Amino acid sequence: MMSGLKAEIARARSGIQSLFWSRRAQKVKLMVIGRNISDGLIAKLVLYVLLSIVAYLYLQPILYMVSTMLKPATDLLDATVRWIPREVTWDNITKAFHGLQYPNALLVTATIAISCSLASVIICSMTGYAMARLSVPFKWLFTGLIILTFLIPPQVVIIPLYVIFSKLGLLNSIFVFLVPALLGQGMKAALFIFIFMQFFKSQPQSLEEAAKLDGASTARLFVGIMLPLARSACLVVFLFSFIWYWNMYYEPSMFLSKGFTPLSIRLDMLEEVLNPTLLGNTRTIINPITEGTKMAAAFMIILPPILIFIILQRWFVSGIERSGIVE
Amino acid sequence: MNAKSRKRAELKYHVSRYGTGLLFMLPWMIGFILFVLIPVSWSLFMAFNKVQVGGTFKYEWVGLRNFRDAFLKDNIFPVELITYFQQMLLMVPIIVLFALLISLMLNQKFPGRFIFRALFFLPVIFATGQVLSELFAQGVGDVPFLEQYNLEPLVKKYVGAQFTETVMDVLSRAVLILWYSGVQILIFIAGFQTIPASVYEAVRIDGATPWDSFWKITLPASMPFISLNMLYTIIDLFTFPLNPVLAHIKDNMFKANTGYGYASALAWIYFAFIFILIAIVLGVFGRKMKRGSVRA
Repeated sequence: MMSGLKAEIARARSGIQSLFWSRRAQKVKLMVIGRNISDGLIAKLVLYVLLSIVAYLYLQPILYMVSTMLKPATDLLDATVRWIPREVTWDNITKAFHGLQYPNALLVTATIAISCSLASVIICSMTGYAMARLSVPFKWLFTGLIILTFLIPPQVVIIPLYVIFSKLGLLNSIFVFLVPALLGQGMKAALFIFIFMQFFKSQPQSLEEAAKLDGASTARLFVGIMLPLARSACLVVFLFSFIWYWNMYYEPSMFLSKGFTPLSIRLDMLEEVLNPTLLGNTRTIINPITEGTKMAAAFMIILPPILIFIILQRWFVSGIERSGIVE
Repeated sequence: MNAKSRKRAELKYHVSRYGTGLLFMLPWMIGFILFVLIPVSWSLFMAFNKVQVGGTFKYEWVGLRNFRDAFLKDNIFPVELITYFQQMLLMVPIIVLFALLISLMLNQKFPGRFIFRALFFLPVIFATGQVLSELFAQGVGDVPFLEQYNLEPLVKKYVGAQFTETVMDVLSRAVLILWYSGVQILIFIAGFQTIPASVYEAVRIDGATPWDSFWKITLPASMPFISLNMLYTIIDLFTFPLNPVLAHIKDNMFKANTGYGYASALAWIYFAFIFILIAIVLGVFGRKMKRGSVRA
């Protein structure tokens, strides 16, 4: 009888133990494989590895840029030196600094980018608000026309635009970009109008009704209530506009010919500056000696926007989601 | 008297109804007329003329000759147009697919994903204009395994000799082309947020694997974003620095025997091609989008 009880207890104990172990095994399994595809450790590991590989490939050209920038001429000519230079040189950076006329060109680029982006934000928000909320005759027609402005390739209109700008006396000054931006035709303005349109459409109507009852005019309502509400959309539009103005090359290469030269044009002219004997078509020639300087110049051009991006990274990425572009 | 006052009342009604709206639209309308309507119609007019520039413009009506010359006399333009078309057909799906895959991965919850999100957005900042063409000129941005495994004979075998060059061209700059997917990734990620989580929970309870739920839920729901991204990519590639057509148009602008008229005609042909491409995308995906919404 005693032995029977003992056996019973032992069985129960082992049963509990095996239950305990199976529970634990289940837990481990859950941790490793997970309930969802993304929960488990294995899935996460795979995800990290995949993303890291792609990210490395993705950023390789930038790494190349930085590494080339720091190489002296001997390393540039030496094929055995791939990534890490034998000695780090700052020569290329100082050469690029002078070749680009960096402070001057930076000022030009920054002035264009900041002023035109501000103008774009103001005008596109106004237009977007009118399209979303105010009664405008032939709204469908305006919608179509705004889409049309987005679709027309700049090459189609570049010649007439050149003539119009020269008639208006705007060439070779900031107004070549500022005047169109102030009239709602800045860089990718149609996209920004749509962003604002979507945003204002998603806001509750009651706000405006309340303000109207209190006797606010539409202009007052827009400036006092709607624009502050649209802060995140404004920021997204400003940042994108800023970057696109910063990087634009085609338009300034047509409209700005002397004196008033932004960074992108200076980069284009750099080869001639570095190699005065090489006149004419330098485009096709890859000169390994000036490569380092060119990379340094390219790096110096993208550095300010990257710094801004790092500081404002949160708004950039989440702002698009919050501003309701996609809906 | 009566009719007059009624007219005035009508006008007053229209002003009070549409006045503010139109006032808000006014800057855009002026800009549209000045910087879009006039240039577009002007360039269309020039496309039918031989334009000579010498202080003032001299027009000589030639009808459709510019367009005919573009295909019959010009031995560069048609080839470049077709090449570019092939590149587009290859690049647009690559970019959109890549964006879809990356955004699917970035949509998972894992620590440090904001770093990866930032990384994949980074190229938007500098992937335009001169910096990019400088990198292109240096020949960076190739995928490393391409040379190691000598892919060219393989490509030739499977896609045929006439496309090999295009395919290799695109593949050799794969990374820089993928740089054009930054905005698309953002659009996809934002698009995934619009799918309610309860749907996923429901199918999981019904016993669907993640694989099923991707094909049955995520993909159909993101169909509109796929078409949006395709359109965005096509338009974004207008300004692609390697676009051979654009270079040709620019060259012809300043040639004495061809001039602005011919260059305008080329630009319009190019625009027409792009427009057809956009119409095809809208046609195919628009129907799908409608069907999807009916089913939902």
